[in-house]
Amino acid sequence: MCMRCVELNRRSLLVGGGALAAASITGVAQARIRPQDMVPLIGPGYRPTDADERGLWQLMDRVEEEISGSSLLIKDPAITAYLQQLIGTVGGPAAKDMRIYLARVPDFNAMMFPSGFSVVFSGLLLRMRSEAQLAGVIAHESGHFLRRHMIRSWRDTRRKSDILAIGSMVAGVAGGAAGVNTGDLSQLAQLGTILSLLRYSRQMEAEADAMSVKLLADNGYPAAEAAEVWEQLIGEMDASARYRRRRRERRWDLFTTHPSPESRTADIKASAAEVTVPGRTYNNHRQRYLATIGPIRQMLLDDQVKLNDPGASQFLIETLARDGWNGLLRFYEAEVWRLRNRAGDDARAAQGYAVAVAYPDAPPEAWRWHGLSLIKQGRQSEGRAALARYLSLNPAAPDAPFIQQMIS
Amino acid sequence: MRKLGIAVALAVSVPVAGCVQTRQLADLQFTPPQGDYRLLVMRPDVSVGSVTTGGMVEPRADWTDQARANLTTAIRAQQAERGGQVQILERRDQLPGVSADEIAELERLHSAVGRSIALHKFMGAYLPTKRGRGLEYTLGQDAVELGRRTGYDYALFLYAEDSFASTGRVALQVLGIAGCFVGFCAPNIGGGGQFAYASLVDLKTGEVVWFNVLQAGTQIAGVNMGDIRTPEGSAQLVDRLLNRMKPGRDVRRAAGNR
Amino acid sequence: MNRKIKLVIAAAALALPLGGCASGAVGEGFSSHYALIGVRSVNVGDGSMAVTPPRPWNRQRARLFDDIRQVEDWTLNGPLLDGMSFVTGLRSGQYLIRQRRSEDRQVPKFRSDMTAPEVTAMLESLYRVRGGAVDFRTLSLTPRPFLGANGFQFDYEHLDTDELWRRGRAVGAVIDGRLYLILFDAARSHYYQNAIGDFEALVASARRRR
Repeated sequence: MCMRCVELNRRSLLVGGGALAAASITGVAQARIRPQDMVPLIGPGYRPTDADERGLWQLMDRVEEEISGSSLLIKDPAITAYLQQLIGTVGGPAAKDMRIYLARVPDFNAMMFPSGFSVVFSGLLLRMRSEAQLAGVIAHESGHFLRRHMIRSWRDTRRKSDILAIGSMVAGVAGGAAGVNTGDLSQLAQLGTILSLLRYSRQMEAEADAMSVKLLADNGYPAAEAAEVWEQLIGEMDASARYRRRRRERRWDLFTTHPSPESRTADIKASAAEVTVPGRTYNNHRQRYLATIGPIRQMLLDDQVKLNDPGASQFLIETLARDGWNGLLRFYEAEVWRLRNRAGDDARAAQGYAVAVAYPDAPPEAWRWHGLSLIKQGRQSEGRAALARYLSLNPAAPDAPFIQQMIS
Repeated sequence: MRKLGIAVALAVSVPVAGCVQTRQLADLQFTPPQGDYRLLVMRPDVSVGSVTTGGMVEPRADWTDQARANLTTAIRAQQAERGGQVQILERRDQLPGVSADEIAELERLHSAVGRSIALHKFMGAYLPTKRGRGLEYTLGQDAVELGRRTGYDYALFLYAEDSFASTGRVALQVLGIAGCFVGFCAPNIGGGGQFAYASLVDLKTGEVVWFNVLQAGTQIAGVNMGDIRTPEGSAQLVDRLLNRMKPGRDVRRAAGNR
Repeated sequence: MNRKIKLVIAAAALALPLGGCASGAVGEGFSSHYALIGVRSVNVGDGSMAVTPPRPWNRQRARLFDDIRQVEDWTLNGPLLDGMSFVTGLRSGQYLIRQRRSEDRQVPKFRSDMTAPEVTAMLESLYRVRGGAVDFRTLSLTPRPFLGANGFQFDYEHLDTDELWRRGRAVGAVIDGRLYLILFDAARSHYYQNAIGDFEALVASARRRR
């Protein structure tokens, strides 16, 4: 089947930068950076004065204009306000009033730009188990932002790769209108181009890690949860590769020579111990986080599971289930098996649906698949009853005409 | 020794010399706009990237931005020399009565149409049903609606891409991911080298009535031709693409092929 | 010395872009990618289904390593804008497309005991995993007879990474454990309406041959 016939691997293009790239950088053979040494290099109301930095900001402004017009954005005011609050808290005063763009991309990533906006992928929200974990990722990005890594890294890149005398960014910009960059397959508005700005060195990633620990502790979050995020992510990547009988992809690791990130999480844990004040209470605000993303959680799980990467999806669901199973997670676990479709998976999935519908929060779709499984097992009347239940829970379902015909 | 030097110089100069092609295609009945026409120039769709060691083209924000700015300046200068009333669209929400979303949707549709024309009319993936029929592509009612509400007669779309390795343009054909459609890899879309097209849409019918493709062969390091990150390079590209608009086949035949 | 010169020249020749300056004349002589389908009965896929298009279409020629024999694709304006696909007698355990075993994300295989919702879920996976759709919406799933059997009609929309909305309709049935399906997918703006009539005519004309 041809479809668009485009060989697409979103992940290979999106991991170029941002928080996800950080996962593949490992801290090796250097002294741990102490969180106490991490002071912000910019304050509120910062504006660049150097020509090239001004040019960079103007570039980011135009990039932001494109992103804000993207059809891939999730425009949920409650969640956007929540993210804005969080970024303003953990990012410090310089990050207050940042503009937030939540993009519907089922990958783990978040990016923060000095010109005053952030991009968060829906895949990140799915994977976070608590507000502290999300704050940890955001604090890591804030670290890059507050320590001015982007301009430093960009100057480095330009020095190495520019062979022509192109002239200052400001002059080039003066004539210019914003153009449009669409159709360049998975460029996702301007995200592909701006990821080229997000290349941070190992040293910078270590600084951002240290900064994240400091920012978390300063704001009353348990700082060790920052390490958990990276452990979960690496675990997921490993599970995905293991299922396909491969080693975790090395192609992301453009800079590193060490395969394992243990030293990095060890550094984070040591830093966390340093900044944790004994006797002070820290709260990860798990319930508040889950309540906020509750309305879109099914959509996030759907987007992830339907990618049919069973190793990753199963690991992810089991990780989320460490905080308690519910109907939604049990349903999507069964969906992972149904799509995986190895020998015996249809029976496994059937059992999974049966378990899911026993929970009060099981989504209507769980009843549909439960009903279809029962019918395939020959349990006609039970199956039809389950399908009828599905229709009563979701009378406007798009497949209602078909399901109706099945039970009549 | 000297013999070897000359032989090498000849060998590498052959692909560079004269390796820039421009090809136009128009509706059979096409006449270039003249007199008092109203033209809307849409925001140029530009991407300039660097070629990684793995051979992929990675778009660079700064190069893209520069190229885009230079191209817009060049278009503005070029159109100032012609007749007609021209507006160059700088932001999506610039036109009264037309929302930014509607412009965005039209841009995206044209992106798919433009790529299809480039692929199926110029790059070898010819569609037998379109043989000998000039340019049979349309943007449909959405474009007609735009024309109706804004009063413009034509819309001009421009697409340009280019890529460079750290040592200059790549000498080998590089097939980037974006270059692979329909199971084969169309050369120069997303690959090394410069590729650009301009497309003119008649807003009374929604049809693409004129299309021009520019394809510059890959370069050897040190020889820079038409680098769209520079004002000169952009002006050169715009000149090649827009300055030689010819009438359609039937019109030329009727005029006796003057 | 001579050998070195030859190698340099050979390397420079390889450096020429494939379809670039070396390709020669403008024109439409070179067309091994698509074949013309005329207005007459034609066998599609593995030959087990025949259809009659109401106007000429372009059939995508099979590529040696990439194609499934049971699947055939047509287009009117190019696959970025519209596409008609035929699935004929796809067997249990087969995939709709070729994919590497080691791919992280995979399209599931067809099973002969699949119900219509499962077949449509497989199509949705195809769009998400292979086509890169970031949003996929089922518009409706209704019963519809096809090839003399109880089949289904599936209407859907999807947003792809080029940010263009596309719309599709598929009509199919599982007969003797094999999948038969006709699917039409096109840009939602203009191109879907342009050829949905062709789709309906093709479905009405469809006959099984064996």
